[in-house]
Amino acid sequence: MDFDTLKEKLKEQHYVCDDQLVTTLLVALQLGRPLLIEGAAGVGKTEIAKVMAAALDRELVRLQCYEGLDESKALYEWNYQKQLLSIQVNMNRQDPDQLTRSLFGDEYLLERPLLKSIRSEKPTVLLIDEIDKADEEFEAFLLELLSEMQVTIPEVGTIRAKSIPFVVLTSNRTRPLSEALRRRCAYLYIQYPDVEKEVEIIRSKLPNANERLAVQVAEAIHKLRENDAILKKPSIAETLDWVAALEALGITDLDPEAFRRTSGFVLKNSEDLDAAEHPPEKAEEECSCGHHHDHEHHHHDHGHCGGHGAKA
Amino acid sequence: MRSVYLEKLTEFSQMLRQEGLAVGLGETTDACAILENLGFADRQQVRWALRAVFAKSQGEQAVFDRVFDGFFVSQEQKEAIRARKKAEAEEMSRRQAEAEQDLQVRGQPLDIRDDLREVYMKMSEEKREELRQLMERTKPNIDRSPQLYTNFIRSVFMRFLLEQQMLMEDAAVGVEEALDPEMALMVRDIGTFRDEEIPRATALIARITQQLNAELSVRRQHAAHKGALDFRRTIRRGLETGGSLYRLSFRRKRRKKRRLVLLCDVSGSMLQFSEFALRFIKSLSDVAESSRTFLFSEAVREVDAFSLQNMDAFRQYVKDSGLYGRGTDLGTALAVLSQMRPAVLDPSATLLILSDTKTIDLPRAGRALQEAGRLAGKVLWLNPIPEGKWQYVGSIRAMGALCQMVPCSTLSELAQACRRLVQ
Repeated sequence: MDFDTLKEKLKEQHYVCDDQLVTTLLVALQLGRPLLIEGAAGVGKTEIAKVMAAALDRELVRLQCYEGLDESKALYEWNYQKQLLSIQVNMNRQDPDQLTRSLFGDEYLLERPLLKSIRSEKPTVLLIDEIDKADEEFEAFLLELLSEMQVTIPEVGTIRAKSIPFVVLTSNRTRPLSEALRRRCAYLYIQYPDVEKEVEIIRSKLPNANERLAVQVAEAIHKLRENDAILKKPSIAETLDWVAALEALGITDLDPEAFRRTSGFVLKNSEDLDAAEHPPEKAEEECSCGHHHDHEHHHHDHGHCGGHGAKA
Repeated sequence: MRSVYLEKLTEFSQMLRQEGLAVGLGETTDACAILENLGFADRQQVRWALRAVFAKSQGEQAVFDRVFDGFFVSQEQKEAIRARKKAEAEEMSRRQAEAEQDLQVRGQPLDIRDDLREVYMKMSEEKREELRQLMERTKPNIDRSPQLYTNFIRSVFMRFLLEQQMLMEDAAVGVEEALDPEMALMVRDIGTFRDEEIPRATALIARITQQLNAELSVRRQHAAHKGALDFRRTIRRGLETGGSLYRLSFRRKRRKKRRLVLLCDVSGSMLQFSEFALRFIKSLSDVAESSRTFLFSEAVREVDAFSLQNMDAFRQYVKDSGLYGRGTDLGTALAVLSQMRPAVLDPSATLLILSDTKTIDLPRAGRALQEAGRLAGKVLWLNPIPEGKWQYVGSIRAMGALCQMVPCSTLSELAQACRRLVQ
């Protein structure tokens, strides 16, 4: 697959991406390397795996990482209940050695995402989401899979991948990942999109959205993300939710009142709402949207700044 | 691939390695493979492709871009860089000659470390002139006692250069930020955090403590799978699987959590550090089953740390309580703690002191610390002064001999110290 084909396929999935992203995806794809994607929460890391699965026409196998995740949840588990049942049913019918051997067959193996992805006849897209939430032991366990595309099950032996999955790992950087893991991956860091790109995303995902509203929302979101006092920065999904909510309410202009009514779609805790509505006084009377206030006349239109509806 | 390109790529890998990137043969091979497909026509595309292969973090990406821009440059750029480097080298050799001349007493080179000589070379002309003038002013004393004069000049120069070294280190703060803004706060001196950075730092603390709590719970989970068998539980659980003892339960050791006594210095520059450290420690759910927090400057006040989990509330309380803007009297604070009835310090308590050791009446403070150490089960001192500077601070050396002192100048070190606390 070449650059233009991949770009075209991503476009078909209504995925707005720049050349840098396409190049990085192409590099990972051509080298058969896992792709490690880092970036703040909500920049669209997981979405890349979903879109790649759709673009490459592959099944998406997802492993959501969490604290305490272990091999039995990620790779395989023996179906103990079934094994016990089989022992009790066949105890007197079979030769004990044969019975023992039969207990570790495919029939009793519960495939978890990692095993499923490498045993699949057709190549899949394997998404290992939020790897930073898993423990370091699990990260070390992944190394064999990522570098050799094989896993070892003590009772069965080494299982080599029937097809090479396109592996995407995402991390929100809540802890640094090991050098060993990083070295096995191609790397991509995603930042929040700029205003133009965010407008393009809104257009692509919500084609019926009001154009002016889309621009106003994108600008407001941009300002909110720049505001250091806001701890949980709005994600791209929240931008889309916000536009959809405004559209559903029949609002075509993001004025202070509209912001107040719908701010719960982008800001999800009271401190952030407070910070957005009461920004600290700035020098030269400049507000967080970058426009100058005229306090005597109060005629500055805050419709698109979204950061301080209550003050306008 | 043509050998000339291969050679260039190997050279590029070598440069990245020199800049600290972990570039192995595997990465270089990958880069060759990818460039064979992509070609060299589009410079930007080559940059992105090589960056995905060579740089494995946001910080490494910044280093990669710098090396890439330096390596893949046009002839004109190369000339400009060469000229600039030449000018810089000339300037440095001029300064070196000047430093050799300035750092002399009675015709002999001053006995100071090489890194301080380097600091002198890098210092602004204004600062160097200050030292020259000092030497000029004190020259008339040279004949009275040459040796005394030499020692005096050496000690003044040492102190001045050490101060400048610290300032230069602080000024380099932005460098890390340029590499990796999100993680930069982790390695920055807590005292240098600006007001607008505090929300980011507190969010970072929340993330780190979440991670620390997660580590602890995993450790507990692992601990639950070893030790002596708990027959009663194992048999009861076996009933779920038809009497087969398939899932084993182990006896859990009843853990006795420590009682934590926090003594936080809130005088002057310690205020910000104490607030951060307090927030950090209180967020760790597993640190202690009960804890008591005391703030001190010249006097001591017991506080409810949970009600002060906000920088503004914390500062306001310190101001209202009359502790703000006062000196530091660790001796009195420790004596008050030792004499409290019912006893605050006993063998089940861990005394955690957050202070930079700068206190009035150091000998009295030392004695009080010894007494507190005798009463408490364990004493741990979190010190916000960078470890590299400890050797120059007498009070740290004195207090460090009496208890376990842990460097905590950055959030990263603070996290490390908290790990130590729960082990």
